[in-house]
Amino acid sequence: MSGLPTALITGGTSGIGLALAHRLAGTHDLFLTGRGERTGLPKDAGFIKADLSMPGEAADRIEAALRQADVGALSKLVLNAGTGTYAAVGAEDAAMIRRTLDVNLAASVLLAHRLAPFLEAGGGRLVLIGSVAYKGSGNMPAYAASKAGLAGLARSLRAEWSGRIGVQIIHPGPTRTPMHEKAGYVPGRLERLFFPADAMADEIARLMETDRPRATVMIGARLRRLLSGKAS
Amino acid sequence: MKALVTGAAAGLGSALTNSLVSDGGSVVAIDRDALSGGEKIAPLVADLSDRASVDALLPRIVAAGPYDFVVHNAGISATGPFEQIPEEAYRRLLTLNAETPMVMTAALLRAGSLARGAHLVFISSLSHATGYPGGAVYAASKDALAVYAKSIRAEMRRRGIHVMTVFPGPLRTGHAERHAPPGARAERRMEPPELARRIIRAAHRRRRVLYPGPQARIGRVAGFLAPGLTTRFMRRNIFEKLDRTVY
Repeated sequence: MSGLPTALITGGTSGIGLALAHRLAGTHDLFLTGRGERTGLPKDAGFIKADLSMPGEAADRIEAALRQADVGALSKLVLNAGTGTYAAVGAEDAAMIRRTLDVNLAASVLLAHRLAPFLEAGGGRLVLIGSVAYKGSGNMPAYAASKAGLAGLARSLRAEWSGRIGVQIIHPGPTRTPMHEKAGYVPGRLERLFFPADAMADEIARLMETDRPRATVMIGARLRRLLSGKAS
Repeated sequence: MKALVTGAAAGLGSALTNSLVSDGGSVVAIDRDALSGGEKIAPLVADLSDRASVDALLPRIVAAGPYDFVVHNAGISATGPFEQIPEEAYRRLLTLNAETPMVMTAALLRAGSLARGAHLVFISSLSHATGYPGGAVYAASKDALAVYAKSIRAEMRRRGIHVMTVFPGPLRTGHAERHAPPGARAERRMEPPELARRIIRAAHRRRRVLYPGPQARIGRVAGFLAPGLTTRFMRRNIFEKLDRTVY
């Protein structure tokens, strides 16, 4: 080991997770989870193949991989992996609802549960990646519900773990990532208003250095980046 | 008037079933435990924390519809230090409290089993306003349910279906008793028949949300004005007093 603090990012092989991995690469030993594709990962990052739509198995694999790499402490656990289907209530079916809740909510609960001892050993912080949809979305009810669940988990766990393990939730606004296409949503020209994944990762990395219990990355962040001449 | 109530064998579900029947309705009453039927009550046994059991139930509730009044009431909790509760309990809790009401709602809507003018009621929790240290996954499930209800409200209204979310504080039920810290004062909790009446009245008034009683209204305002302080208050008064894990 390099002596750097260790960070684990779920869904670290694409979108916001991958961009965040590149932000943290110089300052952290990294473990990234994903379902298969592993191109463009930061050099030296550990890859853990895990499918969060099977939360119990995924938690087993991730914990086993950390132990095998002799990692006993985590500085950051970033639960970023997410999925969703763009479908209103009349178009959602049981399979879509279950998959969305499994990946976004149940897997997060199980990983926080399983890796809490690692965070405690590392004086670490649980970082949940929510969504601005956590307040409700008619176009993605199950997705919105899953992200509201994360917000509720963060709020209660933060109070429960106070003084032991940090808890933070960050709600990204619309971001240019492969998730929209996978969800069956074509933003068209609207996509120009979306955050590039790199800029979103910048903002998340910056917020992770603060003590804010929760933050939303939307228009304020766009304006600040514009005024300070950063890419957005 | 035909109603569907989940978790109908005890507590609020039982009180709702009785109220709906005494209002002249008939109730399809779902529970894990067998309950005695009657002329106006058609019991169905299913474990709503189990996906296979839910999948087997769906065609049966569709066949017994359409419904004018649906209450997603069934719920379980898991209280104690987050790490000390087994993962399997969290899986069952999330399925029962959040997933099954969503799966059932989608199935009923797609099958045309929600009558025009129907009331669709989701029982969330006051924890939506206050947080719940010592019950973090319960709080997560109830937040998920509340935001699901909010998300589908507009689309349901277009279809003539009214959606209401209820955020009750502690009730005087066996369930609440088991999860409360020692020394909690039961006499301050609302009686299930009282809450059942309030829910039915609020539904007929087409209310969107119901914070029943003074405790729930105070919790709502406190959580809105001072969320951090309110959750810390919950930690002191619940989490730090819990002397056991219950799931």
